Amino acid sequence: MNAVLSDETLHAFVDGELDVAESEMLIARMREDKELAQRVCALRGLQSMVRLAYAEPPVADGRQSHAAPRRQFVQRCAFGCLILFAGLSGGWALRGLEPQTVAALPGVVAGGYQVVSLARQADPDRVMLHLDSAAPDRMRAALDQAERLLDEAERQGRAMQLEVIANSRGLSLLRADHSPYAERMARMKQRHASLHWVACGQSIARLRSEGEKVVLLPGTQTAPTAISEIVTRLQQGWTYVRV
Amino acid sequence: MISRFLFGPFRPGIEALRPVLYRIAYAWCHDVALADDLVQETFSKAWTRRSQLREEAALKAWLVSIMNHCWLDHLRSRRDFEDVDDWQDQLESGADTPEACCNREQVIACVRAAVARLPLGQRQVLTLVDLEEFGYAEVAAILDIPVGTVMSRLSRARASLRTLLDAAAQRPDAQPLLRRVK
Repeated sequence: MNAVLSDETLHAFVDGELDVAESEMLIARMREDKELAQRVCALRGLQSMVRLAYAEPPVADGRQSHAAPRRQFVQRCAFGCLILFAGLSGGWALRGLEPQTVAALPGVVAGGYQVVSLARQADPDRVMLHLDSAAPDRMRAALDQAERLLDEAERQGRAMQLEVIANSRGLSLLRADHSPYAERMARMKQRHASLHWVACGQSIARLRSEGEKVVLLPGTQTAPTAISEIVTRLQQGWTYVRV
Repeated sequence: MISRFLFGPFRPGIEALRPVLYRIAYAWCHDVALADDLVQETFSKAWTRRSQLREEAALKAWLVSIMNHCWLDHLRSRRDFEDVDDWQDQLESGADTPEACCNREQVIACVRAAVARLPLGQRQVLTLVDLEEFGYAEVAAILDIPVGTVMSRLSRARASLRTLLDAAAQRPDAQPLLRRVK
């Protein structure tokens, strides 16, 4: 049990290749073993960087590929939004997308939340919930929503992946000494192996530069920036829900 | 282009996958013109072999597999390789070492340069798993290699990538250099 885990095993874990029991065992070990958590975190960071590097590959001049112009337009919008996001604390970023790209998630995601997908049909099996506020009711809403979606998927026998991405003040949800819902989140994570907490690396760096000590909840991953994670996921067909 | 004029978009699903294929092709060769050619050639071959596609769900993996053959054909025509297995573990693109990861653009340039330096086999596995989230078994089928090889190549690719990026991060004063790689 305490043997050093091989890199191959950790890679299989971050790539979703382990079965539920193995994943849960590894998550439990990560809670105890900071070094292991750090190795997984570094792997996730590397993966995010690779995704970011190829999220918008260059297109040759005069050889404009036949990629649907609208899709390219949407991609450009998404990256334009990236800059806005940094300045305006998030919420406005995804309004720049074309209205027809906004598709409502069927079923359980409702209640006036902003839902965005680049796919024609929003994918209910790959969802990211974005939180940028420290308001307790928003935090609770994010967790309620996550639980509802995962339970619904479980009932219907669907394999669902869900990420809760927190940046700006929303990062408090994922901070060990600040989160009002740490216990509930640990229970949720234990129950659902496909649930991931993702913290914005930029928000963490900012807090640290202000002299704050940032300790994240066990099992929390760090993306270089929340927006890069969101844009990458959107391009991979994930559905975005702003809580 | 020609196939498009002659046959038109033969499946709407295939057209939607063009940006996906282009991204993979670019991550493999880091050359915009070659990536574009590879995608065109893949569509052209996909059209002639369309009867081989049994499951609609496997469309993406099927297309990537065809593109892999196009890419290998291209490399064979370019170099006089005797054994594909040998150079898949050796061939590096010859890109410069990634340097100076400071801002977002530089991070992107650094990561691309680092990926370009990986041996071809590792680069293909890494990009298929990380960019398109293919499962190990799918990657094994696409590249026609054992799953164990997928895992070992992925492991070596990530270790090398981390070493290259760590080295780059320790040299903040240098300017990033990214050479086009054919």
